Amino acid sequence: MKTLAHVRITPTDTSVNGATVSSASLAGLYREFAGDYPKFFKMDSLCKLGFMAAELCLKNLSADEKENTAVILFNRNGSLVTDRNYQKTIESDNYFPSPALFVYTLANIVTGEIAIRHKIYGETSFYVLDSRDETLMDEIVSDTLLTSSPRYILTGFVEYENEQNYIADIKLVTK
Amino acid sequence: MGGIVITKIADNIISPLGTSTDENFRAICNGNSMLRGHSGAFGLPEDFCGSLFNRNELESRINTEIANSETFTFFEKLCIFSAKKAIEDCRLSACEADVLFILSTTKGNVEYLAESATDERCFLAGSAKKIAEYFKNTNPPLVVSNACISGVCAQIAAVRALLSGRYRHAIVIGCDVLSKFIVSGFQSFKALSPEPCKPYDKERIGLNLGEAAGTIILSATADNEKAQWQYIAGAIHNDANHISGPSRTGEGAFRVILDILKEISTDEIAFINTHGTSTAYNDEMESIALHRAQLDDVPVTGLKGNYGHTLGAAGIIETILSMKAVDNKLVLPTKGFENSGTSYPVNVSAETRTTDKTAFIKILSGFGGSNAGIAYRKGGLQ
Amino acid sequence: MDNLILQLKNQIIEVLNLEDMTADDIATDAPLFGEGLGLDSIDALELIVLLEREYGIKLSNPAEGKQIFSSVASIADFVSKNRKK
Repeated sequence: MKTLAHVRITPTDTSVNGATVSSASLAGLYREFAGDYPKFFKMDSLCKLGFMAAELCLKNLSADEKENTAVILFNRNGSLVTDRNYQKTIESDNYFPSPALFVYTLANIVTGEIAIRHKIYGETSFYVLDSRDETLMDEIVSDTLLTSSPRYILTGFVEYENEQNYIADIKLVTK
Repeated sequence: MGGIVITKIADNIISPLGTSTDENFRAICNGNSMLRGHSGAFGLPEDFCGSLFNRNELESRINTEIANSETFTFFEKLCIFSAKKAIEDCRLSACEADVLFILSTTKGNVEYLAESATDERCFLAGSAKKIAEYFKNTNPPLVVSNACISGVCAQIAAVRALLSGRYRHAIVIGCDVLSKFIVSGFQSFKALSPEPCKPYDKERIGLNLGEAAGTIILSATADNEKAQWQYIAGAIHNDANHISGPSRTGEGAFRVILDILKEISTDEIAFINTHGTSTAYNDEMESIALHRAQLDDVPVTGLKGNYGHTLGAAGIIETILSMKAVDNKLVLPTKGFENSGTSYPVNVSAETRTTDKTAFIKILSGFGGSNAGIAYRKGGLQ
Repeated sequence: MDNLILQLKNQIIEVLNLEDMTADDIATDAPLFGEGLGLDSIDALELIVLLEREYGIKLSNPAEGKQIFSSVASIADFVSKNRKK
């Protein structure tokens, strides 16, 4: 398995292939590196994080190359932050369930947001693990490369807890 | 990996219609459903129609069948109960290092979010670990969290793990229980039908939710006796269109079907068991995808009129019932369907039909623009 | 009416996360969906919640929304006739 690009985003540092490119927040990264996709602001934080990581990681792939790329992401807490936010909209004394929050109470939506942005029609999968187990993640990704058709896989760990704690550690790999 | 043949060696379904695959299959053949109107359930201010467990009764029964039941939530108990039945059925030693547990669920224990400071229970992999540990299995379990298509994706993940040679058996459990969280969300999407749903029908107005658990055990080294069903192909594709609305061209589902048809000929297919949720857009989208794949004549069946949409369990239980149907040379009826209401009048099977064909395709679509499909053929190792 | 229109614009910007927009950027008669602000089906559902929470108006049939949500002017007209709070 060969790594073609590697992006790491934390609250204080964003790096591409090991070199720091920014220290901005997620919204700051959007203004710096995207800027043409207002739907970004409708996303939940997990999606914003995955979206920006994909934005930086897929820069050198052509539209044709992207079409059958697979997106396989992992984390530990699923969509827990948005789950909590949605839960607040269904408390009995203030019951106004929010569809815009509910749709993000599924961790795989981040893979869908990336697919929509980059016109990726390949596999999108999200796995929730008990810990950030690099060996296990690599096994799943190499099994996928071995047994299905994608030439490229955008993969990695993407987890959002709060403004001070989040990480996207994403790479673009090929056979 | 070329020589490895993946077969199904055991299965189980726990639903409001029964606690074994046979009970469930008989119920479907008899046209049964537990879709009922529920008022005040889960503290919801709005009524809804769904297929719910009699929780107290089932939980007391499970408590007598599994050890240390007080340490598990209802969701976890259901997973363990279902897996236990399947494991006993094929006499698998589930604690071995070559056995992998895979859990398919959308929201697991999310009902506990309502109680503060118990977030820990809402970690899906925490549940999966407890379930695997119940069977003394120490491999890190996988949780496939791909919304409504998780049940098929979990089977595909199992196949990959087996083909890699890393594991010899995979225990794939699919389960979701309903809660205020889940039902209110679908209500806010105006996606629910107040009456039992009518897949592909002219008068369909929405889906029903349902509760279920199911287990499929796949093996790379089955003996001839147990290996009655062989995995043929599986595929996952995104619509790249919208996070909640199905594609108007059925793009992802179409690509899934095309991938599968590379491995199986249309003549072999007894039926396609579709998602068939009974929402205006899903059923229309599937009819377009089937038409584009030139499958207009292949019988289509859907089980949502019996179970509602069982979320993470759907892909598992609908696959198992498809196998049972072919075992009995039947195409199952699509409960609720009367008059075709899609742009392309796919061949929806309203009544039970007979078939001599021995393969089927199961497809699903869901939030996130995701689509998945899997095909199995009857007949084990040659 | 002008107050209601301004209030609605601000509420729409807030609940739909229309970043970098102010009430002045939304023309009262311009279409909200498709061409105009480019809102989509989830936005429409969220506007239904807005009507219920802020004005006590319950829309049970989302199809009704199509007409009502065609512009800020049409929402304001509907709200002023049907509001319960």
